[in-house]
Amino acid sequence: MTSPADTHIEPRRPGAVAWLRLTQAEARMTVRDTAGLVVPLGLPLLILVMQAISFDDVNQQLPSGVTVLSYYLLPVVVTLVIATIAVINMPSFLAMYRKTKVLRRLAVTPASPAMLLVAQMVVSFIQVLVGIGVAYGVAVLFFGASLPQSPLTAAAVLLAACAAMYGVGMIVASVSPTPNSAVAIGLIAFFGLAALGGMFGPVENLPDSLQQVAGWLPFASAVEAFQHAWVAEAVPAQNWTVLVLSAVVGAAVAAALFRWE
Amino acid sequence: MPVASEKTGAMSSRSSRIAITADRLVKRYKKKTAVNDISLEIHHGETFGILGANGAGKTTTVEMLAGLRTPTEGTVRIWGLDPLADRARVRQILGVQLQQAYMHGALTARELVDLYRSFYPNPLDAEQALAMVDLLDKAKTKFDNLSGGQMQRLSIALALIGQPQVVILDELTTGLDPRARRRIWATIEALEEQTVILVSHAMDEVERLCNRVALIDAGRIIALGSPQELREKAGAATLEDAFVSLTGKQIHDEENEDSTL
Repeated sequence: MTSPADTHIEPRRPGAVAWLRLTQAEARMTVRDTAGLVVPLGLPLLILVMQAISFDDVNQQLPSGVTVLSYYLLPVVVTLVIATIAVINMPSFLAMYRKTKVLRRLAVTPASPAMLLVAQMVVSFIQVLVGIGVAYGVAVLFFGASLPQSPLTAAAVLLAACAAMYGVGMIVASVSPTPNSAVAIGLIAFFGLAALGGMFGPVENLPDSLQQVAGWLPFASAVEAFQHAWVAEAVPAQNWTVLVLSAVVGAAVAAALFRWE
Repeated sequence: MPVASEKTGAMSSRSSRIAITADRLVKRYKKKTAVNDISLEIHHGETFGILGANGAGKTTTVEMLAGLRTPTEGTVRIWGLDPLADRARVRQILGVQLQQAYMHGALTARELVDLYRSFYPNPLDAEQALAMVDLLDKAKTKFDNLSGGQMQRLSIALALIGQPQVVILDELTTGLDPRARRRIWATIEALEEQTVILVSHAMDEVERLCNRVALIDAGRIIALGSPQELREKAGAATLEDAFVSLTGKQIHDEENEDSTL
């Protein structure tokens, strides 16, 4: 007996149009989920405004030439934007797709579920940029914030911080069986990292032992790295190490534990 | 049944060509053997029905054929290709409608069609795909806002959008009204060049559309033949009577039988 397999089929992967359509689809899903935009865009802004109006010295100039707000508050706010999107939003989207079998449906097309994951990361990175833009715009317009003195270093830290937080987010997505548990685990991870990273006050105010722990966590490392970028100082090797390690560990855990269904 | 005989005639000219082979397929879970030594050869151009009671192993079987589940034992070939090892090739010629699959809920029917079109090298025209399942007037309606029957019809359109050579349809018309069922049947009857695997509870559907039918019970094929041959074998007037006679069970209308295994 012969088989239709005699006809040669090229192992063709979906091209640029498919990537564009998938990214568009993820962007539309994100924009149309208005409630999902409130936390990542609103929470950091709220914390920025609350902190800025609560303290008298935010406009005080530091010896490095930047204000207290730019040096202490903006790095925390920028890191908050990244963490809310990467650690809370992205895992809940993936968990929802898994529960509703969207990933399974894609698995029987030439597009793989991994394409959806990449598209989701692209869209969430755009969200990060928008969130940072909104927060920074408010900080400049109303509180006299300044740009980082080393924009290139800040951009490098931004990429490293995103990779680290996505790593944490992928761990959350990997261990969460349902969308609700993804939000719950994501919130716990987020508040744990943020509390030790300066969201509720400078890391220097923490007990010594907690400061030691915080120094090896991605949130505090990102904040400290941004602070160095703001005053054009070299970012300590420990910060880079922690950020890269978080990304690597997150990817390894996801590779071992993440299930498409 | 003139349409079925037309299909049989179209198939006979290609009957020596095997499109799908399943050889001694077994799928075991911890405490249950869902599929137990199933072997099939499905011809190019054939519409092949899989019938069975809830939990008989129908969905697990077609999910292994589609490459969504790894067989515990045995092999599958689609056009001579392994759906797991030759994923990129097989996905180009395979169209699958999954039981209870969901889509990106915030996207409109047209946006979903455009998204799925982008995955294939030679897709159907978007309007043609929507018209095929009577959804042109719902093109701008979000998936979440479609009725259950409309979601089902869109799912069928997306399974056919890549003009696949092999089509797997799991519970093709469950939940559709009589008019929509007939419209979908006409669409499937027009697929004379394609190999179609139809998993169904609807006896009238199987009788009308399928050249051959496999009756599955407790993970095994207990009878295989044309609907007429099965009726004759059981000495029954209808396929439903034949099913009851051969399996000793009633067919159920419930969905989601063994997909949760």
